[in-house]
Amino acid sequence: MNKYFSKEKLLYPFYVLTHPADGFYEIRHRDRGSVPISLILTALFSVSYSINRMMASFVVNDIDPREVDSFHDLEGVFLLFFLFCIGNWSITCLMEGEGRFKDIVIVLGYSLLPMVLTYVPATIISQFIAANEEAFYSLILFIGTAWSVVLALIGIMTIHNYSSLKTLVTLILTVAAMLIIVFIVMMLQDLVIQVYSFFRSIYMELMFRT
Amino acid sequence: MNSKKTTFLVLCILTLLFTSFMGERYAYAASIPYDSYIYDYRGYIVRTPAPYVPKKNISGISLGVGKFTNPQDMCVAPDGKIYVADTGNNRIVVLSEDALNVVKEIKGFTRDGKEETFKQPYGVCVSQSNVLYVADTENKRIIALDENGEFVKCIENPTSDVLEEGFVFTPLKVTVDYADRVYCIAKGVFEGIMVFEENGQFSSFFGTINVEISTWEKFWRWLSTKEERSRQTLYIPTEFTGVDVDDDGFIYASNIDTTGVQAARRLNPRGQDVIKKGTEKNVGGDLVTGGASTYSGPSYIVDIVYRNDGIYSILDSKRGRIFTYDHEGNMLYIFGGLGSQAGTFTSPVAIEESGDRIFVLDATRAEILTFEATEYGSLINEAVRLRYSGDESQAVGVWEKVLDFNENFELANVGIGKAYLTAGDNKSAMKYLKLGMSRDYYSIAFKRYRNEILKDNLGYILTGIVVLIAALKIGSIVKRRKGGVKE
Repeated sequence: MNKYFSKEKLLYPFYVLTHPADGFYEIRHRDRGSVPISLILTALFSVSYSINRMMASFVVNDIDPREVDSFHDLEGVFLLFFLFCIGNWSITCLMEGEGRFKDIVIVLGYSLLPMVLTYVPATIISQFIAANEEAFYSLILFIGTAWSVVLALIGIMTIHNYSSLKTLVTLILTVAAMLIIVFIVMMLQDLVIQVYSFFRSIYMELMFRT
Repeated sequence: MNSKKTTFLVLCILTLLFTSFMGERYAYAASIPYDSYIYDYRGYIVRTPAPYVPKKNISGISLGVGKFTNPQDMCVAPDGKIYVADTGNNRIVVLSEDALNVVKEIKGFTRDGKEETFKQPYGVCVSQSNVLYVADTENKRIIALDENGEFVKCIENPTSDVLEEGFVFTPLKVTVDYADRVYCIAKGVFEGIMVFEENGQFSSFFGTINVEISTWEKFWRWLSTKEERSRQTLYIPTEFTGVDVDDDGFIYASNIDTTGVQAARRLNPRGQDVIKKGTEKNVGGDLVTGGASTYSGPSYIVDIVYRNDGIYSILDSKRGRIFTYDHEGNMLYIFGGLGSQAGTFTSPVAIEESGDRIFVLDATRAEILTFEATEYGSLINEAVRLRYSGDESQAVGVWEKVLDFNENFELANVGIGKAYLTAGDNKSAMKYLKLGMSRDYYSIAFKRYRNEILKDNLGYILTGIVVLIAALKIGSIVKRRKGGVKE
């Protein structure tokens, strides 16, 4: 238990927040990160994202509350999260990336922290602003999102020991890999359904024959 | 005993269930043969009580003048009489105000001592000075007759530089403004509505609809060769289908829009479209038009009627619905449907209004269908009338009654909210404006409410800040002393 949740490890994401290069380096080489904490952060991100969409004030929020389903959001976030991790891992494996799968998961989860930290306060602030003060709200959201993106980029770069150009190339390839994975999964699903229905019809035939 | 009791109970419940289901369904079907609804801020369909209910179907037979044949147009004169263009029978039938009796039949007129008749008159209109204008379609002319049926003037063979050589004038729909200018929709004319001066001289085209070519179509045209291009269909502006005039001389015209965005136009004297499209940015009838059957697709608007106080209605022949908008383009109510029951249409062609009744002319059924405003419908009309004339505060009471019938009616909520805002009750204003999805006004109310709260509690807030600072100071002093002791 302590291996994953020591006080030091719990506080480590906040250190990474301000020292991304060093922080992610130590995650890769000194095992300072923790996969469970990363997953918890991802779940927290999903929750704060749903909260933001559901509870942000009427003045800034044009989303139909009936369309927000936090559980659905959670599924979507984790699906994308793992899709990206698997895609990135499969590409960087081939392109001499040094990061392990574990590192990719940790980097991605930890870099979602700025969004967790800004979405909820932005939602609270939105309750106190009128239409012409929207800029504050969107600025906070923008800072959070941009910070997360920067963290993720630096993280991927550091754990794989890439140059920035190579990082960008691998990211583009990662997106391609994600699409391929989706395609294959869908095809596989179709195949499985066909095989299943084949055996099912044989079974039915046998049942009705006797 | 016990099992008997249970059986009895089950029977009771079943009976209750059945009666409640059946009862509701029958009551509903018996009263109104169509759904009434409206689109809310997010484009969802919201069912509403019926604003208008069918009252009577009036046919030529019930009037005792013989069956109508393919009637195409109808007009309510300033004195309330109803003129029906009975196209297939080459006559104009004039009905009394309540549409129950025939006042007269006009089959022809005397011109220069010669008897002349109509041939397939498609359009009819009565001017403010009670002169009847008939679009005598197959005779290629517009005939004006005074109230005694005497010939006044005839508009035919218009000549102008802008008209092509050999142009055949085939008028379909006609309307007249306060200055006796004649506006005419003619067959095969895509340049707009034809305007004739009082003396019958053709003056210009009016309200031309520009062709809109999407980027995608432009791209395809750019790709195709010259031969291919010559074979492609031409991009022709949409046609006008119906025309009406309001008290200020603005022309209301309906047109066919295949994108379903704008089927109604309000043309100022220069021919520019000045209609307001409301929050939905749409005055084209139905918003939800999905599906792949013949019943789907954008509304096919065949006629428009300007009613009073900025309210106008358009008639859709695709789904037989009547859409009513106010002067800001907000949807007020939708009702009507296709079918063969009393109160439904087969092929509606013209719509008119008189008092709190709406008349729809059906060409195939050869009947005039009358609809009468319910309490709900007339309350909405009343509230919009008050708002149009500037009595927003008086409208509040009426809007509140509307909310009793339909508490999801956004326009009513906005109306009440705005009144509260003017009265200074910001909290109630916020509540209603949020229900009415009026973000701008909600924001104004919210800002005022926030200032109010801040002003009221300024003392507490300042005290709080002072106390907080003091506490922090004391805390740090205590900490330092404790630290000092340890050392």
